Amino acid sequence: MASVTADSPVKPGAFWGTRLLSIVLALAFCFGIGAMEGSIPPFAFRILVLAGLYVTLSVSLNLINGITGQFSIGHAAFYQVGAYVTGFLTINYFDGQPLTAIPWLVIMMIAGAAGAGIVGLMVGLPSLRLRGDYLAIVTLGFGEIISIVTRNQKALGGSYGMQIEPKIQAPWLVWLLAIICIAVCRNLIKTAHGLPFLAVREDEVASSAMGVNTTKTKVTAFVIGSAFAGAAGALYGHFESFITPDMFKMEVSFIILTMVVIGGTGSITGSTLAALFLFGLPEWLRTLKGADGNALQIPAPQVIAALFGVVVFVACARWVRDRYHEKGMKLAGAYGSAVGIAVVASLLFRPLAALIPSMAETSWEINSLRMVIFAVTLVVVMLLRPEGVLGHHEFSWAWLRSLFNKKNKEVQA
Amino acid sequence: MSEDGMTDLQEEELDRADLIHSEGGHVLSLMDATIKFGGLTAVNKVSFDLSRGDLFGLIGPNGAGKTTCFNLITGVYKPTSGEILFHGKSVAGMKPNQIAHLGICRTFQNIRLFGALSSLENVVVGGFLRHKTPLLSSLLLMPSAVTETAELREKAMHLLEVMNLADDAHTRSRDLPYGKQRRLEIARAMATDPSLILLDEPAAGMNPQEKEELSTTVRRIRDEFNKTVLLIEHDMRFVMGLCEKIVVLDHGEEIAAGGPDEVRNDPKVIEAYLGEAV
Repeated sequence: MASVTADSPVKPGAFWGTRLLSIVLALAFCFGIGAMEGSIPPFAFRILVLAGLYVTLSVSLNLINGITGQFSIGHAAFYQVGAYVTGFLTINYFDGQPLTAIPWLVIMMIAGAAGAGIVGLMVGLPSLRLRGDYLAIVTLGFGEIISIVTRNQKALGGSYGMQIEPKIQAPWLVWLLAIICIAVCRNLIKTAHGLPFLAVREDEVASSAMGVNTTKTKVTAFVIGSAFAGAAGALYGHFESFITPDMFKMEVSFIILTMVVIGGTGSITGSTLAALFLFGLPEWLRTLKGADGNALQIPAPQVIAALFGVVVFVACARWVRDRYHEKGMKLAGAYGSAVGIAVVASLLFRPLAALIPSMAETSWEINSLRMVIFAVTLVVVMLLRPEGVLGHHEFSWAWLRSLFNKKNKEVQA
Repeated sequence: MSEDGMTDLQEEELDRADLIHSEGGHVLSLMDATIKFGGLTAVNKVSFDLSRGDLFGLIGPNGAGKTTCFNLITGVYKPTSGEILFHGKSVAGMKPNQIAHLGICRTFQNIRLFGALSSLENVVVGGFLRHKTPLLSSLLLMPSAVTETAELREKAMHLLEVMNLADDAHTRSRDLPYGKQRRLEIARAMATDPSLILLDEPAAGMNPQEKEELSTTVRRIRDEFNKTVLLIEHDMRFVMGLCEKIVVLDHGEEIAAGGPDEVRNDPKVIEAYLGEAV
């Protein structure tokens, strides 16, 4: 996979052709999403839309945390600012004339971005002038402030929440925003303008000696990231049409942060895939049904045995990798053998777990286990690949081509 | 870009050219530059002048205040008192990035490359401060930004060739051997197109042959690229063979100044270095 540092810049020339093609493809994809409404179950469609929002959130947080290296942990607050600002505007100023629903929503998206961007500037400017972890503390506190303010403002619905009327849903716009967010971040790191951002992450003292205005660079990244979160919040508010402060709790921030870290800080591809996977996984588990049509029940000994298997897997994978990968063993082989050992260990452990009397009769519903599965996934990734699944790597067409060429060469040889 | 309508950046560029070419005088002048950290006076009333094309050495035992001097010149610290003039303009109290824009660039004693970036990208960061396209054109991937990126990379590649690093252009700078990292730091500093370049112990950790090559490179920087060079070095033979003017610091004070021979025979310098063959 092509690395950010593998120097695959956009080449000048033959430019508008490929560019128009990507724009057409992106639009086609968005309308495809829009057209799916009604043809797939409403629940699945809803997940699809929310996943698009999470892609925007995680890629925009990646710009701050991964690319520029500033540790922000209050991204949900900007999401909330976007939702509440536009909710307030829609309730008080929207009457369908002269703007109809969709153009209004587009304007609201921009308003949400502007609102969150301005708030981001106010939060970022004082805390980013300093070097160090101040941003983490400030964003943490800011999340709480926004939450308390919305809970106590009558005009914003208080803790009961805010009813946004009319409900304006545009799933294609959600995905268009996600694609714009990905495109903007990718364009940034593909051109020379992205290098100061990466340089600030690597070494602030050296980058300022090279003429990089570090404060400006950090604040720019923070404002762009916050603005995208605000735009996503605007769409979310209008999609749900009912927002409460509880929907933007600290957990949301941490889930977005988890997506960035698991995907690989600095990798846009990584945060996109991690957003889809980490948002999709718990929702998919929720839909699992048992043979009787009710929610899937899993016997407790099986769960315990599976957890035991995971522990064995991690231990084996690390051991085999550290010992034999250096000596030329393929990673796939190392992980494969670890999986084998783990499965055997787990099967052997199961009857043991069933020996515990109260355990044998207990079974748990999948719904109550899905966050456990989520957490275990995170722990495993962090133990086996702390730099994130994709590290600093990035998907590129050149990489895909080189993969095919390699295969062809192998076939010829 | 239109021919008559001048952008701010172009004007700034002309200002810089004015600054550099109009002054017949010194490139850099320290006038009683002093910095105190609490009770400690790290640099005490140090004064020296660099003329265009000087190869100037700043030496002294450990803790003499040499690197602190560099930090004063490049804006990391603000002098407590005294004045620092660059082409006659005061730079004391300016931020490091502003000073880099004016045309002073440095390397670091403990190498500070952008580890995860390739050699080429490191040098492009250096060259980036003379960029002209706005951020928005990059975010929208406008042709101007793409062309500029290609140009910056080309310039950077040229500098890597000069520093004999072209083969490692796409290697992560963190993975380069020590000697190459030192050279890459010089290439990166050169990319900012400075008129004065500060080298902080460029020969540290190099073997005699590498040091010899480095001397040649530093001379080339001066002769071919018309830069003024100020360097800190511990290796006496290296400094004496390379620099034409030398200032010796000890405990933050200037104890001697002059050509290599003058400095070498100065009793104060011998005392400061006590036992070391000067």
